[in-house]
Amino acid sequence: MTTQPEYFDITTEPIDLNALQRRVTTPLDGSVVAFVGTVRGMTPGAREPVTERLEYEAYRPMARAKLAQVAVEMRQRFDDIHGIALVQRIGDMAVGEVVVAVVVSCGHRGGGAFDAARFGIDRLKQIVPVWKKETRPDGSSWVEGDYTPRPGD
Amino acid sequence: MKVLLFATLKERAGAPRIDVRLDGATTVAAFRALVAAQHPTLGPLLPQALVAVNQEFAFEEDAISPTDEVAIFPPVSGG
Repeated sequence: MTTQPEYFDITTEPIDLNALQRRVTTPLDGSVVAFVGTVRGMTPGAREPVTERLEYEAYRPMARAKLAQVAVEMRQRFDDIHGIALVQRIGDMAVGEVVVAVVVSCGHRGGGAFDAARFGIDRLKQIVPVWKKETRPDGSSWVEGDYTPRPGD
Repeated sequence: MKVLLFATLKERAGAPRIDVRLDGATTVAAFRALVAAQHPTLGPLLPQALVAVNQEFAFEEDAISPTDEVAIFPPVSGG
């Protein structure tokens, strides 16, 4: 069995975190870190703090390729991680639903999986072509990204 | 050529793809101007829009040829 399993998906189906944990765990691993992004219903301080729903869309083939690129970059920075799963859900989602997961396995808890998961979600939000439309009590609008890609992204 | 649109651009155009007439190879910068001229409703969105060529981010001096897969979309907001 590979010691560096990888799983990338852009899916309309609910994200099964236990299944992702099993996918990334190898016999070398004693730890698995999962970053799980959910639909936030309240953003205190925002002009309109209440979010009712988020609707996601993706440029699917490019998004999948960019998930794979994020994994390559994670491995370049974190030598000791083993398995990586990167999954973005798309479609219409209610508050509390799981939208994105970055799951990383490692031999030990100090082996870099926490930092790798953090790096992975940050890069996913920069370069994976996915967009969300927010529905609030006062209407709906597309959320504007704030990252401008550079050569090599 | 058919050009793919996403998010705000798709919504503004009312379609997931548009036709852009392209007479041979050009640059991303010139392509933006062509799209603005041929699809004026998209004009206000184009300066901030990103362009992808064959599923990679493309920059102003990069080339576009009529056989490429080209997409235009706003800065990404996933996760």
